[in-house]
Amino acid sequence: MAVLTLEKVNQVFGTGIARVQVLHDVDFAAEAGEVSLIMGPSGSGKSTFLTIAGGLLTPTAGTVTVAGKHYADLSKKARDAIRLDEIGFVLQQYHLLPYLTVADQFKLVDKIKRQGNLDQAAFAGVLQTLGIQELLHKYPGELSGGQQQRVAIARALYPDPAILLADEPTAALDAARVAVVGDLFRELAIQHHKAVVIVTHDPRLIPAADHVYDMSDGVLTHAQSA
Amino acid sequence: MFLALKEIRKEKVRSGLIIAMIVLIGYLIFILTGLALGLAHENTAAIKSWDAAKITLNADANVDMRQSFLTKAQAGKLTKSEAVIGETAVVAKAKGHKQLSATFLGVSSQQYIAKDLQLTSGRAVRQSHEVVADDSLKLSGYKLGSKLKLNDASKAYTIVGFTQNAKLNISPLIYGQLPDWRALRGLGPDMAASAVISKDADYDAGTTGSKTYSAATVIQKLPGYTAQNLTFALMIGFLMVISLIVIAVFLYILTLQKLPNYAVLRVQGVPRKVLVGATISQSLLLVAGGLIGATLLTVATAAIIPAAVPMAFDVPALTAVGVGLLVMAMLGGLIPVRRVLRVDPVSVIGG
Ligand SMILES: Nc1ncnc2c1ncn2[C@@H]1O[C@H](COP(=O)(O)OP(=O)(O)O)[C@@H](O)[C@H]1O
Ligand SMILES: [Mg+2]
Repeated sequence: MAVLTLEKVNQVFGTGIARVQVLHDVDFAAEAGEVSLIMGPSGSGKSTFLTIAGGLLTPTAGTVTVAGKHYADLSKKARDAIRLDEIGFVLQQYHLLPYLTVADQFKLVDKIKRQGNLDQAAFAGVLQTLGIQELLHKYPGELSGGQQQRVAIARALYPDPAILLADEPTAALDAARVAVVGDLFRELAIQHHKAVVIVTHDPRLIPAADHVYDMSDGVLTHAQSA
Repeated sequence: MFLALKEIRKEKVRSGLIIAMIVLIGYLIFILTGLALGLAHENTAAIKSWDAAKITLNADANVDMRQSFLTKAQAGKLTKSEAVIGETAVVAKAKGHKQLSATFLGVSSQQYIAKDLQLTSGRAVRQSHEVVADDSLKLSGYKLGSKLKLNDASKAYTIVGFTQNAKLNISPLIYGQLPDWRALRGLGPDMAASAVISKDADYDAGTTGSKTYSAATVIQKLPGYTAQNLTFALMIGFLMVISLIVIAVFLYILTLQKLPNYAVLRVQGVPRKVLVGATISQSLLLVAGGLIGATLLTVATAAIIPAAVPMAFDVPALTAVGVGLLVMAMLGGLIPVRRVLRVDPVSVIGG
């Protein structure tokens, strides 16, 4: 069963002459254990798609379901809770608090979500996979961009979400790193049984994907399955 | 609290500076409060020590004891809750001592003020030209048995006892007999007193030419007293507002820098109240730190300050001022909180 589905989602911004329809009847489903890639040029509606999938924006029309729950039925607080429990966001920047050590970034999650976070062993496994077990006592400012991103991925995985939503995760990376990050997301999907959804305009990620979608002027089409 | 503590620890220099600023402001507030209370005490200690509820003065004296005279008829009938006083300003001189401004207070040994006077040493006045003086005269070198001349009277007075809290309008009191008051003031035997003091809240002399006031009214009308208290209240109030602004500006800048991080935390489902709590606890921690520093400085000051400086470090009053500062910090923290509440998680998606 799909853990994230969008059905007939439409998004319109503005009214009158300022009216723009950014998403047109978008249908989408993400399964656990699979990597889905949403590709499209700048301005095609990818970020809007991610915002709606993450429950940060209520679409003009259509339904979004996460882990069996409709966003439309949930209060704002319940949506906060869904994002905390079920969705791991990997954003492009500002994803780590500068005044917390890497270890404290996780401790913060423990303070807010008291149950259901990764146990010691699973957490150690994630750190291992990402190769950041040596960095726990460092501050984000002391890490390279790539290390920061891997910490951000670990941070997203820590609450053990069902879904991983990534926003242009390779924007700042060179080709070798792109392959590594691509493999990493694949591994997370398979090993940790996550539904991974990556929004990007970087075709170098295509080899890592189970499904590739094209976003063009707000129309989403299923381009290929691996 | 977790986020606030971590940030203060990481940003040691910034936090140290703001705490240092609050230490200085807090210290200034504490010292001013101590001074305000000390001076207020020196204005009113004697009236408080008499347990005065009502004070009868000449109706034309403009509620000023120094300007008031009452004839025997005006003083009226006294019960054992009333006592008459004769007040006059004097300059005390003695060999080897600097001149000292004081207030001579003639009292009757048959009435309660003289009877209830608590002596710290020596004995009560028994005859003319004996006086009981405020303890502060000891600081000027006077001792039991010391002789002093008051104004230009030729006969010297002898200090036979000391008492504490004998201060009126910041001037030390010298208690003596009523006939000595009349002599110092150059009055005839028909003048009975400057004022009638009563412990009885329902007392009213009710005689022609006199008027009975509450002790509080007379205190408010002590020369300079109300103006002085207002000045202190104003200064302390201003400092409170300054501390609010300092906290608000500092936290506002810090918070503005964090808004993108906060937006990411909101995306990640961190509830607003966690971020608001972090901001408010940060302001409280900074002010608490500043208050601890200010308290230590104040305690150190109280320990070394000369006894002659009129300062009273009254713990309840200083605590109230400290709590006031904490409240100001909360209010100062609320300004950046408004920004935290408006953080839009969507703003960090897409870039
Ligand atoms: N809040 C908004 N109000 C009006 N137009 C918007 C808003 N958000 C996005 N858009 C428009 O929607 C289109 C798609 O934006 P976006 O989803 O950010 O695309 P992408 O992430 O693919 O670059 C753009 O033309 C953008 O200007
Ligand atoms: Mg975008």
